[in-house]
Amino acid sequence: MKQFHTAVLERRKAFEGAFAVQPYETPWADEALFFLRIESRDQPRTAIRARVQVSVDGVRWIDEGTAFPVLEGDGDHFVRVRHFGGWLRLAGETEGGGAVLTVHLVLKG
Amino acid sequence: MPVSSRFRPLDHVLTSDDFDRGMCGWTDLTPNFTLPGFNARQSIVDKTQWGPPMLSSATFSYVGTHGSMEGTYSLKLATRPVASVYEAPPAPGCMSIALKRLSQHFPLKELQLECWYAYTPEQDRTGLNEKDIRSFGFGFDLQDARSRAFWGVRYLNSVNGAMQQRWQYMKAAGVSDAEWAYGTEGDWCKKGVDPQWYGRRYPDGRADGFHDVPCGAQQLCYNESDDKINWLYFRLLLDFEKQEYVEFQSGARTFDLRGCSPTFVDPYARIEGLLNPLIWIETDTDRRVFLFVDSVVVSATAVQPSA
Repeated sequence: MKQFHTAVLERRKAFEGAFAVQPYETPWADEALFFLRIESRDQPRTAIRARVQVSVDGVRWIDEGTAFPVLEGDGDHFVRVRHFGGWLRLAGETEGGGAVLTVHLVLKG
Repeated sequence: MPVSSRFRPLDHVLTSDDFDRGMCGWTDLTPNFTLPGFNARQSIVDKTQWGPPMLSSATFSYVGTHGSMEGTYSLKLATRPVASVYEAPPAPGCMSIALKRLSQHFPLKELQLECWYAYTPEQDRTGLNEKDIRSFGFGFDLQDARSRAFWGVRYLNSVNGAMQQRWQYMKAAGVSDAEWAYGTEGDWCKKGVDPQWYGRRYPDGRADGFHDVPCGAQQLCYNESDDKINWLYFRLLLDFEKQEYVEFQSGARTFDLRGCSPTFVDPYARIEGLLNPLIWIETDTDRRVFLFVDSVVVSATAVQPSA
């Protein structure tokens, strides 16, 4: 039977401007989903950009190529990632104000 | 799972976890999300932000992968890169705490936690940075029909950048519930509960939640670089008949704790028989610190029926 684990990387945390979420080790997993929940935004026009990053050591980060579309409303969103090596995180920025976010990483392998 | 000969379990092995087999039920410690909107009640200590535990290969940039003692994976507790000064309430995210939620299935006479572990800060800057790890510890949250108590031991490694390197055991000072919660009224806690983050702390390393272990100074095998980890042995033994600590072992040294007790509080609702082993780490500065746990064995002896 495969392993499965959901990690709550950020839990209702306020972000403003450029941000990166808590890094997470993923060497055992074959596939991942990042769920990004926009709990609230400072302004109706506040937008969130977020992209997936990989790393060899959890310190130096490189864009993986997967990104969320520009998010301009509250609610839940996800992206899929495969073939990512030992580490994953999300990096991004808020525009036009801050936002409170919850980020889940769902791993299977 | 069979218990490795590197452990010395008591008669009844309750759990034997090697993290090459997955998370084994160890999870993030979170508050109770029982308020509207799945919110938790306000507290002087924000318990929603602790760093989530993960399976780790213990990989570093110029060393590569350490792996674990007999495989690839350990359970890694990783804080967030944030800390308050030691004397202040712990900052949101300055700790990572993993626990396993068990319950008692026979009357306990003795209870023991053993593990193999290693610790280091995130290697995000050069130098030897042992001083950035404030403390780490091992213990239990336990309740029976009589009382609830937190039993545990922590290694106080550093306070505001000054090395301490001594062991302390969980026992509350003679303070009020409000003083226990850093001077706030109506916090969700009683004196003695959650000493890993409640109880005032003092610049010399003392704390209202812990007492110094007699002759408890010890230098551990940290190694000479932040990217080299050595697996260390820890064992904590408790006596429930006498309601006192027995001893703990760190490496080749055993520390006598007979005559030392934790703080007992009235039972909480809905958790009779609770048996939660706990492991945690706290950062001393604005960087992540890691506790790698290769394997954990929790074992017990039972009270013998009267003849």
